[in-house]
This record gives sequence, structure tokens and C-alpha cells, in this order.
Amino acid sequence: MNKDLEHKFIDEFQKNQNIVHKVCRIYTNNQDAHNDLFQEITIQLWKAYPKFRGDSKLSTWMYRIGLNTAITLYRKSKRTIQTQDFESVLHKIEATDYDPTEEEQLKLMYEAIHQLSDIEKALIFLYLEEKNYKEIAETLGISEVNARVKINRIKTRLKAILNP
Amino acid sequence: MKELDLLKKDWKKREADFPKLSYNEIYKLIHKKSSSIVKWIFIICIAEFIFWTGLNFLIPESYLDIYEQFHLKTFLYVTQGIHYVILFVFLILFYKNFKAISVIDSTNLLMRKIIKTRKTVNYYVYYNIALYAILSLALNAIMFSNPETLVEVMSMENSNVNSKTFLNVLLFVQIVTFIIMCGFLWLYYRIIYGILLKKLSSNYKELENLNV
Repeated sequence: MNKDLEHKFIDEFQKNQNIVHKVCRIYTNNQDAHNDLFQEITIQLWKAYPKFRGDSKLSTWMYRIGLNTAITLYRKSKRTIQTQDFESVLHKIEATDYDPTEEEQLKLMYEAIHQLSDIEKALIFLYLEEKNYKEIAETLGISEVNARVKINRIKTRLKAILNP
Repeated sequence: MKELDLLKKDWKKREADFPKLSYNEIYKLIHKKSSSIVKWIFIICIAEFIFWTGLNFLIPESYLDIYEQFHLKTFLYVTQGIHYVILFVFLILFYKNFKAISVIDSTNLLMRKIIKTRKTVNYYVYYNIALYAILSLALNAIMFSNPETLVEVMSMENSNVNSKTFLNVLLFVQIVTFIIMCGFLWLYYRIIYGILLKKLSSNYKELENLNV
């Protein structure tokens, strides 16, 4: 592939690399796995770049390829290390019965997100990125109504963890 | 919900912690090799095409001489001709499906295309197993219905082994070989599906369930 294209890609990628980092953060829970997935997404983006027409925003396109790589193409099992499941998190709160500070609430929410399935992670990720339901539905190939219903369910679950 | 707003705020705030990769670091990354499952599926599919097609060439010439005695040589050549036409059709289908896989598609469509590509090769394998099963059944039926010719062909008439025992042993060996082959195939597909496609299949099911 020609050098101009390569140069253009690296330039644009450099400006938007946070998107890839964010996908890695939601799908992995250690630095090695993060770097590994980051590498695979970057390769997939570069391979697809010659076909990028510019009719959508580069960032939209990066979200899509990033998630597709994490959910479908990437196969390493390192990233599925279990930390804590919902039940044990719930149990902990009940047992200690303390008033969680913001920091603890965040910790619990991140832990809960790491327990979600790959698809649920994609939904909550796009929600956190403030994508509208139409874009979320198009990225995953589901209907807008179903995207909305599923995200609301995840939100309810997260809420339940914090307010048992 | 204020907790989720808190999460959203924190999510944004944490962006600052990410390392910023330099031009050179990114350059190095894009020149590394991909380890995506699409690549692995491609390699495995090609290997399967080669394996199943290659089996044909493993049959020694002397075997054909045996079939000749049963007047089956023409039948086998015709079958082989048809087999190559079918192989060609499968290769075209595989190539078309593989080419259609695009990482820019929606997640749902991408998974569907990968599964479709994989299925093409599965059908080729099923076709081969069926072909081998039917052919060996037919050949055995013909050969065992002419036991005199069979004993003669196997040059057993001068040996001191009873010809009936010989035929029984021959049949037994064939059945055992068939069972072992089936076992290997089962194991192979368990491994392929277990390692490569388990995650993809379960994610695909989950997405499909969302759409119900």
C-alpha cells in the first residue's frame, strides 16, 4: 500500500486513538490484554482504511471496526479473566452495609461492567460515548427499539447493584 | 440517574490517562501480523480443502487394478470427474463468501457472513464424508457379493488362511477403521468449534435473541 495513504492513516489515527483505547478498556482488564487488543484493532483499521470513503465520520467508522474486532474477530482468552460476579458484589454491599462514596460506587459500576457479556459491553460503551440509539442500533445491526430496551435493562441492573 | 451521570463523567475524565502513541509506534503496529479469527478460518478452510481433495491421491494405483477386476474402473473415473466439478463449485462459493466478509459491516452482519463462510466449508466436508461412506458401502457390497473374485484378487488362494476367515477379518478391519475415522472427525470439529467459533457463536446467538 502506498506511503501517502499510510502517512494519512497514521496522522488521523493518532488524533483519534482514544476511541481504540476506550474499546480496549471496556473489553480487557489488564495491560497486556489491552495492548494486544489495541494492536489487533489498529491492524484491522489499517487494513480497512483503503476502503474508507469519507461518507461517514472517521470516528464512527473507528467505533464500528473497534467493536467488531473486540466482539467478533479477537479471540484471545486472556481478557475473560473473571473478577467478581454480580451476586458477590451485591452480597458484599449487604454484608457491610456502609454508605458507598462516589469512588466506591464507580469501582462497583466498573466491576459490574466487566461482568457484562460482549454484546452488553458494546451497548453500555456506546451509551457512555453518548451515541444516539439510531447509531447504536446501526453499529450492532439490531433495531433501535431493541437497543433502547436492552440499554435500559443494563442501566436497571447497574442501579440495582448500587441500591440493593 | 445520578450514578450513571457520575459514571459518564468519570469515563470521560479517564480519557486523559491513556498513553498517546507516537507516529513511529503506530507505524510499527500496523506492520504487525493480524491474529483475527477470519484469518484463522481462512487458513483452516484451505487446509481442509487440500486434505479432503488430497485423500483422492493417496489411493495407490494397485487399488485401481483391484477395482478393474470388478469392472469398476470407469465408474470410479466418472465419479472422480463429477467430484472435481463439485469441488470447483465449492471453491467458488467459499471465495465469494470469504470476500464478502467486511469489518465495516454491522456486528450482526459481520458475524453472519463469517458463519456463512465457515458453513460452506462444512458442507464440503459433509459432502466428502457422505461420498466416502456411500462409495465404500457400494464398493464393499459389490466386492463381498463376489467373494470368489475377491479372494482371487487378494491372491489368497495359495495361502493357508481359510478364505472365509479372511473375508470376515477384512470386513471387521474396515468397520473398525470407519469407526476410528468418525472419532477423529468428531474430535477435530469439537476442537475447531470449541477454540475458534465458540465465542462468535454465542455472541451471535445473543444478538439474534435481542432481535426476536
